[in-house]
Amino acid sequence: MSLNTATNRRLITTKATLWFLVGAALVIAAVRYALGLGRTTALTDTTPWGMWIGFDVLSGVALGAGGFVLAATVYVFGRERYHGVVRAAVLTAFLGYIGVILGLVVDLGRPWNLWAIFISQNLHSPLFEVATCVVLYTTVLALEFAPVGLERFSWAQPIVRGLKKAVVPLVILGIALSTLHQSSLGSLFLLTEARMHPLWYSPLQTPLFLISAVALGLAMVTLEGMITSWLYKREGEWSLFKGLTRAATFVLPIYLVIRLVDLGVRGSLGYAVDGSWFAVLFWTELAMCVFIPVLLLTLPRTRGRNWAIGWSALLMVSGFILHRANVGGISHMAVTGEAYVPALTELVISMGLVSGLALVFLFFIEKLNVWEEPPAEADKFDRIAFDPVNQHYIGAPWFGGGQRAAVALIAGAVVGLIMVEAQVAERSVNQPSPVEAPRNVLLTRTADIAGPGHVFELASLGTGGATAAAAELQRGLLIDSGGAGRYVLFEHGAHQDSLGGQQSCVLCHHRNVPLDLATSCSHCHTDMYEPNDTFSHAGHETALGGRESCAKCHLESDAAKTRIAAKACDDCHRPAAGTRVKASPDARIGVAPGYVDAMHGLCLDCHRQQDATLAENAYLGQCATCHRHGFDDKEELIRWSREVARAGGAGDGTKAMNR
Amino acid sequence: MSSFAILTDVTRCTGCEECVLACKSLNETGDRDAPRKWQGKATDLSSTRWTTIAHTEDRHVRVHCRHCLEPACAAACPVKALHTTEEGVVAYDPSICLGCRYCMMACPFSMTRYEWESANPRVRKCILCYDKMKAGEIKEPGCTAACPEKATIFGERDALLVEANRRIKDRPDLYLDHVWGEHEVGGTSVLYISDVDLASAGWPADLTNDGVPHLADKVLETVPTTFAGVGLAMAGIHWVIGRRNKLAAEAAAAHAAAEAENTVDTPEDEEQS
Repeated sequence: MSLNTATNRRLITTKATLWFLVGAALVIAAVRYALGLGRTTALTDTTPWGMWIGFDVLSGVALGAGGFVLAATVYVFGRERYHGVVRAAVLTAFLGYIGVILGLVVDLGRPWNLWAIFISQNLHSPLFEVATCVVLYTTVLALEFAPVGLERFSWAQPIVRGLKKAVVPLVILGIALSTLHQSSLGSLFLLTEARMHPLWYSPLQTPLFLISAVALGLAMVTLEGMITSWLYKREGEWSLFKGLTRAATFVLPIYLVIRLVDLGVRGSLGYAVDGSWFAVLFWTELAMCVFIPVLLLTLPRTRGRNWAIGWSALLMVSGFILHRANVGGISHMAVTGEAYVPALTELVISMGLVSGLALVFLFFIEKLNVWEEPPAEADKFDRIAFDPVNQHYIGAPWFGGGQRAAVALIAGAVVGLIMVEAQVAERSVNQPSPVEAPRNVLLTRTADIAGPGHVFELASLGTGGATAAAAELQRGLLIDSGGAGRYVLFEHGAHQDSLGGQQSCVLCHHRNVPLDLATSCSHCHTDMYEPNDTFSHAGHETALGGRESCAKCHLESDAAKTRIAAKACDDCHRPAAGTRVKASPDARIGVAPGYVDAMHGLCLDCHRQQDATLAENAYLGQCATCHRHGFDDKEELIRWSREVARAGGAGDGTKAMNR
Repeated sequence: MSSFAILTDVTRCTGCEECVLACKSLNETGDRDAPRKWQGKATDLSSTRWTTIAHTEDRHVRVHCRHCLEPACAAACPVKALHTTEEGVVAYDPSICLGCRYCMMACPFSMTRYEWESANPRVRKCILCYDKMKAGEIKEPGCTAACPEKATIFGERDALLVEANRRIKDRPDLYLDHVWGEHEVGGTSVLYISDVDLASAGWPADLTNDGVPHLADKVLETVPTTFAGVGLAMAGIHWVIGRRNKLAAEAAAAHAAAEAENTVDTPEDEEQS
């Protein structure tokens, strides 16, 4: 059979578009496997299922429903009239299911573990049942369709005859399998009640999905017949389409009644009139699936008209796709509160998948007898490479179907690469770890038994009363000290008391510093940046028992009594349970470097190194480079900086400066 | 030990987050959590933070997998990658996980997280340190061992229920008379007692006491019946309609034959007459 494929502009444009989308999807799919789902999709922990499940899988299965509905009509109910569209319906279903499987493979995080389904089955999982039935039914559909592909080969005639004999058992097996997984697709959402909007959750999800699949299958066969007839400029089987859509008008009211009565009985119908966006969505969906198609197909003025049949088929198909998407994800937004908008990359993969299957469908239609009455052969001429008169080469007809497809495919791949690059860049950004707001805590302050100072302990209602007198409990704050779960414990109550109670808030808060909620500690503790000895030798001596106590820290009697040879601070100051203020494990530092020393240690060393490389006009090591107004006498400043350099230590530098 | 369970006493928790740090170091999930753009807070549960603390105005409530006795996630998993161990722990086997994320859709508490950044991603959630306890490396989960206030403790579920009820009985002025997790969604291995209602801290008030998988289980039980029933019904209809069509065709053929005879005969008769 030869169709008018070479000169049909409609077909050429459509195919080029399909190849373009396939090219874009292939590139995106490759990147998706290389980088993972996180950076190539809009999926999140709150929305783990997106468009690939909500559209590719759920709608793919539903669109394939035409296969079992038509097969049942013709082979079981004996309506031979519809034999003309049965092959196309079975082909649509078969490709639909291949699409479901491919869509799932793209969506699965670890599709290379699919073998596990053969060794570890969970019979309690609706998804396991759906997967099993889909695989079995795809096989059945392949067997149902195989005679169409094999009938042209003489060697395959025995197989074709065998398959044709087995067609009724195959069809019945297919119907049973379809009944199971079409409905189990609804059962999937019995487990997800916690995240679904009440208008789309139903304990009767299972039968609702089955019934709607029947109506959807009828509409899908009609729509697909209309599109291909338009594409190949042939007369559609309008009398059959009329019968199919008419049958849908008997199924749809059953679906509507079950849905509404179920909502009413469970008291969820109120959500449909609460004026929310979801109520609008609910009625829009029902209008598309049921109200408008049924009206168009039954009102005397419109029924039987081709445009009414076409529109109602389109509305039913898109309405039920919307229904599947609502159940599978859109309605969940009402509960999770997270808006999910599919990324362009997800959208393109879905479209590319459909496009690829459409191309296979068109290929089959052109090469095999999918239609019983193929359209009349169109005028066809081949461009020739050689002049028929003088046999001179005049150029090959290079820009044929294959070349067009290749160009469209590559163009699509380039566009896909740009899209996926944008998406990856967008999603690779982590949000800056925000500073946590200070947290209210209860704390006790007790004198440290082991030495001088105090131990701060976080207290709670349950234990606070037991370990400390209630009066000692005070309000404190845990102030984030740079994330990673570490905090500075701030005695808010004690500060308040010592600064003057209720009147003192304003001393720290409300100082009208933009974006500053409270004054920084250093505003009052001005010495926090000055060098100070955190270790009070005299204090320790008094607390540990005067002159007799030296050996408690200076363990080796013959060693010099220096800081280095003494015990480490945290040998005594062990981190008590619940304390946040702990001695650093390697704390042997006596003098806490002040701000100035710290800066000089970090900056000056490097500046000095830079200075050495600049033989002439040395200036980086000069103090005036930073301290522009600190020294009046420039000569003295330079002398001082040289002194610092000679002494070679920040500590000495401090002394010089203090002088 | 026959069952692994955790009891968290909200009144004792100081919110110090030692449990979180212990969990992170024991399970080697990294020092810092780099929150993704879409994530609410750095301190939310994530693939690198399997337990966290929800800080309300003045209470601190631990959040981690509840280890339901009838887990929806394990019912959802088509390959039993998520499964209940004999100790009641909902454990995870990444080697057979397909990555379908149905578990994340099914969890009534939204506790499961995913390694979105990975090209070979795993589902991440608290597994009560099951692997390390089975290997004998530790005697109790990292979080309960680290808690300085003993606000979250490890034990057998029955013993912890007794302990919870004892505390409630001892301090009726302090505690609400409710053990969260005793009955919710069919019971969980992670129990909570508190002096405030936990509806806003991970225990939605509309949870039923039925296990989430019950309804789907009931539907799945009908699968063999449906399969056989639909198959038989279709075969029956096919036979009845086929026979009717055959009879009709035979009748039509007979009728046509008779008609043909008549039409053939009549002219002869006419001619003869």
